[in-house]
Amino acid sequence: MTKTVPISTPIWCPGCGDFGVLASLKKALAELSIKPKDTVVVGGIGCSGSIHNNLECYGIHSLHGRLLPTATGVKLANPNLTVIAAGGDGDGYAIGAGHFIHAMKKNPSIVYIVMQNGTYGLTKGQPSPTAVPGYEGNVEPPFDAVMTALSIQNTTFIARGFTGNQAQLTGLLKKGIEHANALRGFAFVEILSPCVTYNDTYKEWREQAYNLDAESSYSSKSRVAAFSRCSELLAGGKIPTGLIFTGESKSLETNTLTSPAPMALQDLRLETNLPKYEELLKDFR
Amino acid sequence: MATKLEQESELQSAVKNDITIMIGGQGGDGTLTVVNLLGRVFRDLGLNIYDARNVLSRIRGGPADGVIRGSTRDIYCIGDSVDILVAFDEEAVQAGLLELSETPIIIFDSSKGQLSEKFKKPGFSVYQAPLGNMAASELRRNIFKNTIAFAILGRLIGLEDALLIKVLNSRYARRGKEALDSNLKALQMGFEFATKNIPGSRYSLAHGDNSQRILSTGNEAAAFGFLVSGGRFFIGYPITPATDIMEWLTPRLPKFGGVVKQAEDELAVINMGIGAAYAGARVMVATSGPGQSLMTEGVGHAGEAEVPIVVAQCQRVGPSTGEPTKNEQSDVNHVVYSSHGEFPRLVVAPGTADECFFMTSEAMNLAEKYQLPVFLLLDQALCQNSASIEPFDLSKIIIDRGKLVNEEQLGKLSAYKRYEFTEDGISFRSIPSQEGGESQVTGNEHNEFGSVSTDKTNRLRMMRKRMMKLELAKKDLPKGRTFGPKSAKIGIIGFGSTYGPIIEAMQQLAEKSIDVRFHQIRTIWPILEDDLQEFVDQLDYVFVVENNYQGQLATLIKNYINHPEKIQSITKFDGSSFKPKEVAGSILSSISSKAIA
Repeated sequence: MTKTVPISTPIWCPGCGDFGVLASLKKALAELSIKPKDTVVVGGIGCSGSIHNNLECYGIHSLHGRLLPTATGVKLANPNLTVIAAGGDGDGYAIGAGHFIHAMKKNPSIVYIVMQNGTYGLTKGQPSPTAVPGYEGNVEPPFDAVMTALSIQNTTFIARGFTGNQAQLTGLLKKGIEHANALRGFAFVEILSPCVTYNDTYKEWREQAYNLDAESSYSSKSRVAAFSRCSELLAGGKIPTGLIFTGESKSLETNTLTSPAPMALQDLRLETNLPKYEELLKDFR
Repeated sequence: MATKLEQESELQSAVKNDITIMIGGQGGDGTLTVVNLLGRVFRDLGLNIYDARNVLSRIRGGPADGVIRGSTRDIYCIGDSVDILVAFDEEAVQAGLLELSETPIIIFDSSKGQLSEKFKKPGFSVYQAPLGNMAASELRRNIFKNTIAFAILGRLIGLEDALLIKVLNSRYARRGKEALDSNLKALQMGFEFATKNIPGSRYSLAHGDNSQRILSTGNEAAAFGFLVSGGRFFIGYPITPATDIMEWLTPRLPKFGGVVKQAEDELAVINMGIGAAYAGARVMVATSGPGQSLMTEGVGHAGEAEVPIVVAQCQRVGPSTGEPTKNEQSDVNHVVYSSHGEFPRLVVAPGTADECFFMTSEAMNLAEKYQLPVFLLLDQALCQNSASIEPFDLSKIIIDRGKLVNEEQLGKLSAYKRYEFTEDGISFRSIPSQEGGESQVTGNEHNEFGSVSTDKTNRLRMMRKRMMKLELAKKDLPKGRTFGPKSAKIGIIGFGSTYGPIIEAMQQLAEKSIDVRFHQIRTIWPILEDDLQEFVDQLDYVFVVENNYQGQLATLIKNYINHPEKIQSITKFDGSSFKPKEVAGSILSSISSKAIA
C-alpha cells in the first residue's frame, strides 16, 4: 500500500481539551467505517486548527477564518466526500463570523466542529469571542453560537459537546457526520474544549454543562422549544449541551448540483461536450 | 404635429465605410435598444462592429449613452469622433459635444423645446422632431421614441426601409406580438416624418464581407472560454465590471453539471474556489480591484498551498470604490505584487474578445500545469464593450490538467508526497477520494508530505521549488504580438483594451509617413524580458501606453530591460479609453520635440 500522510504529533499542551476532540472524532469516523480516502478535514488557524495534521486522511489547512468557504467548495466539488471543518472559536466566531452565518444559511452538508475555549491560546491568552467578562480585561459578554445558530431559520443540526463527556461527544459527532453524509445539511457541533494553559475552565464547565440529552421532556425537533430552553439555561448560568436541535431544510448540494457525477470527477474532454458547446456559440450571433 | 426640421448645413451624400453613432439620453430612455438595432443593421451589411456603453453606477436615470461604430475594416475601439448623435435631451448633446466630429448630424428630441442655439455650431446639421411627444400621443408610451428616432436615422444614412423592418422583427420576435406591432408602428411614424421633412439621405453605408462574424464582449468570451475548457465551478460576488461573467455562466454552467455560486463576500469567493480546486474541479473566480483586495490573502494561500485557480480581474477606476463603470488599467501592481510573502503567480492579459476566449482557456491550463494562481487581467473597456470577431474556433481548445494523478498511478508509488521535490518543481497532485493520495495541503511551510515544517534546509528547498515555476512557466506563457514594419525606430508597448486605439494610431501615423512598431504584451508576470529586449533593441524610442496615472507597466518593464532610458509613458486616467488620435498626437508631439521624425 502506498505510504501517504505521516501523522504529526499534536502540538497541544498536556491536558488540552482538543485531545478529547481528536479521540472522539477518530472513534466516530472508525465506528461509522468512513474511509480515509473519502474524508477531508479542513483545519482553521490556531491550536485547534491543526487537528487535520493528526488524522490519516485528506487534510487541507485553510486561512484564518476561512475554513467554512473552503469546506463548502470541497463539498460542492465532490458531495460524496465526508467533509469536516474544524477550528476554534476565534477562527469561527470572530474573524470568520460572516462565513459562519452564511454557511448556516447556505446549508452545505458538512460537519463544523468548533473547539471553544474562550481564549486565543496559540497567541498566549487574549480574550476570544466566547470569553467571559473579566477574562484578561474582557468587558464584552460572551457570544453564544448555539443561540445564533438557532436563530437562523434553516439550520438543520445544532449540538454542543464537552470534552469532559467523551461518550456524549462521540455520539454527537457520529450523528453530525451521518446527518451531513445523508446530504441533510450543515451539522454544527460546538465543543467545550478547555485551554489548560490560558483559560482552564474544566472545573467551571463541569458544573455549568447541562445535558439536554438526559432531559426526557426535551425535544430537539422544536426550534421554539430549543430556543426557549437554552435561553432559560443560559440565564440560570448553565451551558446547554447535547443534541440541541435537528430540522429539515434542503441542503446546498441538493439545491445546487445538477449532475450525479461529482464535478471533480466529470468527463471534461472537449470532444465529449462539443455539440453542446457549438450550440452555445449561437448565443453570440 | 411634427415641427419643421431644421437643417443647417448643405446636403451631401457620401459613401461611408466607417461610421460612429452615439445615442444619448437618460437611463431608461432606451438608448441601448437603438445601439442593439444598429448592431443588427451593421451585421446585415457585413460591417464590423464595436460598441461601448457609457452608464452610471445606478439602476435608473442619470445620463446614459451608447456608442456604436460600424466599419469595413477590423475595429477594436470607438474611433476618434462621433458622426451622428441621437439625443433625447440637451444634457445628451452637452455630454456628446466633445466626442463629435467637425460636421456631425444631430437628431434631437424637441419634445421639451427646441435645441438651444449654443449647440448649433458651424458645420453641425441638426434635425429636430418631438420624438417623445409623437410616441406618447400615438402609442401612449414615451419609450417608442427610440424606434421613431431609429427610422429617421435610417433614412439619413441611406438604409432601405425593409432592412429596418427586418431588424425590428428579429429584435422583437420573441417579445410578443404587442411589442413588435407597437415598434413597427413607431417605425412607420418615423418614416412618414422623414418623408415629409427630410429631402434625402446624407450618407450611404458601404457594405462589408463580415456577416459571418460574431459579436462578443471580453467578459462573455472569457466566460465561454472557461466553460469549454472544462471549467465547472465558478464563484463570484457581484462587482462591476466583472459581474457579466457570472451572469453569462449562471443559466449555462448547470447544463454541463457545473455550478455558479454567489458567495457572501470575496473572502468566501477565493477560499471556496480553493476548496473546490483542491477537490479537483476546474475553477475560475472573477472580480474587480476592490474584490481582489479582499481576495489577496487567499491568492497567496493558493501560491503556498499550490492550488490551481484562475482569478479574472476586471479592472475599473480605483482606488477604493473609485468609478465602478469606468475604464482604467491601474491594477498592474496590484496583480503582480499583492499579498504578503513571496510566491509564484502568473498574470496574462488578453487585448481582444477573441483573446479573452483563448487566453482564459490557457490560464486554466497554466494554473493546473504549474499548480498556482493565475490572474487573467482585463479592463472595463475590454470586459464590457462588444467587438466583431471570427467565431471561436473550438477545435483549438486544449485541456491540460498537468500532473493530476489517478489511482492507478498512486498505487505504483511506494510513498505519495504531495509536495515532492522534482526536477521541474511540480509535484503530483492527488484529489480526495483517491486511494493512496491522502495528504496534507497547507498554507503553513511544509515538508514534502505537507507536514508543517520550519526546518531551514526544507524551507530553502521549498521556496526554490515554488519560485522556480516562474522561470519554468515562461516557455508556456502567451508571447507578445508585434505589429508594424521592422524598419521603424519608434515603438509602442501596450496591453488590454489599448490594443484597438494603438493599432489605429499606427495607421494614422503611417499616413504621416511615420513608421511605428507595436508590441502587445500578453504576459504581464513574469515579465518575458527576452521578448521585450529584442523589441526594444530595434528601436530608438518606446512609448508605453496605459490607462493609469503612474505608468505602472512602464515602471515594471524598465526594471527588466537594458536601455530603460528608451521607455516613455503615455498615460490616461480620466476614466475613458484612449482615442487613436490621442495616442498618435502624444507620439507626434514627443518626437517633434526630439526632432527625430
